[in-house]
Amino acid sequence: MGYTSFAYLGLLAASFFFYMILPLKHRWKVLLLFSYAFYFLNSGKYIVFILLSTVSIYLTGLMLNKIDDGFAVAKKGIPKENKKEYKAVIAWQKKFVCVLAVLFNLGILVFLKYFNFLGGSVNGLLKLLHLSPSVPVLNLMLPLGISFYTMSAISYVVDVYRGKYRATDQLGKVALFLVFFPHIVEGPIGRFDLLADQLYEGHKFNYNNMMLGLQLIFWGLFKKFVLADRANMLVTTVFKNYMEYDGIYVVVAMLLYTLLLYAEFSGCMDIVMGSAQMFGITMSKNFERPFISKTVSEFWRRWHMTLGSWFRDYVFYSVSLSKTFMKFSKKIKEKLSPFLGSMIPAAVAMFAVWFSTGIWHGASWKYVAYGLYYYVIMLIGMLIEPATVKVCEKIHLNRKSVGYRLFQLVRTFILVNIGMLMFRADTFSSFMHMLGSMFTGFSFAPVADGSIFEIGCDIKDFAVLIIGALILLAVGLYEEKGHSVRETVARQNIVVRWICYYALIFIVLIFGAYGRGYQAAGFIYAQF
Amino acid sequence: MEELLEIMHEVKPGVTFEGDSDLIGHGLLDSIAIVTLVGELCDAFDIEISPVDVVPENFKTVEAIYALITRLQED
Repeated sequence: MGYTSFAYLGLLAASFFFYMILPLKHRWKVLLLFSYAFYFLNSGKYIVFILLSTVSIYLTGLMLNKIDDGFAVAKKGIPKENKKEYKAVIAWQKKFVCVLAVLFNLGILVFLKYFNFLGGSVNGLLKLLHLSPSVPVLNLMLPLGISFYTMSAISYVVDVYRGKYRATDQLGKVALFLVFFPHIVEGPIGRFDLLADQLYEGHKFNYNNMMLGLQLIFWGLFKKFVLADRANMLVTTVFKNYMEYDGIYVVVAMLLYTLLLYAEFSGCMDIVMGSAQMFGITMSKNFERPFISKTVSEFWRRWHMTLGSWFRDYVFYSVSLSKTFMKFSKKIKEKLSPFLGSMIPAAVAMFAVWFSTGIWHGASWKYVAYGLYYYVIMLIGMLIEPATVKVCEKIHLNRKSVGYRLFQLVRTFILVNIGMLMFRADTFSSFMHMLGSMFTGFSFAPVADGSIFEIGCDIKDFAVLIIGALILLAVGLYEEKGHSVRETVARQNIVVRWICYYALIFIVLIFGAYGRGYQAAGFIYAQF
Repeated sequence: MEELLEIMHEVKPGVTFEGDSDLIGHGLLDSIAIVTLVGELCDAFDIEISPVDVVPENFKTVEAIYALITRLQED
């Protein structure tokens, strides 16, 4: 049951109806019931894994509360000289409980998602050493949304451990936080302190929220049906038969894949956020106009934002602000140089982040390479930054000028597109082949003789895709200036408003890529 | 406050932090700069900054960073 299916829209409508007719204090139960129904319909018996995660983090939270409470009472009666020692024991206990819960949840994910990949890698290594493969291949299925809800689960446990907030004693609240049906498949990766209360408290019916939510859902459907599914035809043809294509075919396929992934993933997020908004729930943003980024780092602050912030808070800061690392950094500063003292620990912590980001996307070495590709770019950027500043000063190049910014935009766009090519290619070697083949036999002849319009997208499809991409760009630039298209529409009189609503609905219905000859693109992130 | 600004200018030379209302949002402090800054602040002010303190509210302005230091010194 995908987010663009009638079944999902029916479930959303039914849950909205029952949510609004029940008394406020019971409304969260409707969300929980429909969320578990959605999960069970999609995953069947695999629901057991999310239940295990829910119970494990709930109990861990209660244990951490108990340790904190015990410490608060006991410390009053402890002499000052023993306080430090007692505090260390408490800290160790909390760490032990937290690590156990993190390992339990991560362990389920690693086992189900990476066992065959790790086993295959070990077997490959044994083969190289002329030994017989010893790790069996298991028939494992991935429970729906496990990569997303595991991260939410870990963030809850670590936040309680760090003292960011106290754990809740309401099991239903934890359960709903993990399983809430709009975000379970592709995120955004929720944080308990931002989301749980909103889910748990009942929201009154609000016409504006319902209309704004519906608009966002249709905007998401526009991105998915009109752009992503249309681009998918050419993209699939070229990537599937990559040995047969080179030059402009590969360039166009790469550009269309970038558009496809953005339209599909951000479109899905629009449907998710729109669904939540109908209930009066605001979810964290996952996209903020990524293609106007001037650097790759900025791109990742605007693309899949909840994933980036999760890795920043729970991997990057955990590694780089740990006592061991702080000492390590200090030593390098004293013995080598202050520059290296800040650079080396950051580089190590970043490696952990990008290795994890890569492997999170999929159990294969290609995804590891995908993560490390961005790591290397960012590292080079960091290392050459001081020299770049000096060179620009020397040649009197204003780094804030329009020309320089345009150069940065184009450079980032190219680097991101190469990343997308790697992401979509079946294997790392096919990526390398496609990257190389872009430069061989490049000419505009396939456009002039029309042969590029014969591999999935005809000239009308291209026209729709180009106009659609320009609409996305225009909306993005308008929003970057601090405006909201939906609120601007909402301020218009009733006639203009409904013309806009109907226009969007008819554009989705008329220009959506349906029917014979079209092949819908599955939600790519739903496979993670 | 002066010592704090001195450290911040050492971490990111040539940047004007004073008066900026959103150091993170305006890209003057990214996560790498924050980690470097945290290391320097811990040494200079003899405090311990944990990941939970590293939130935008505590690093949004020079005043917010100063308030964080003062709070951690009191703890």
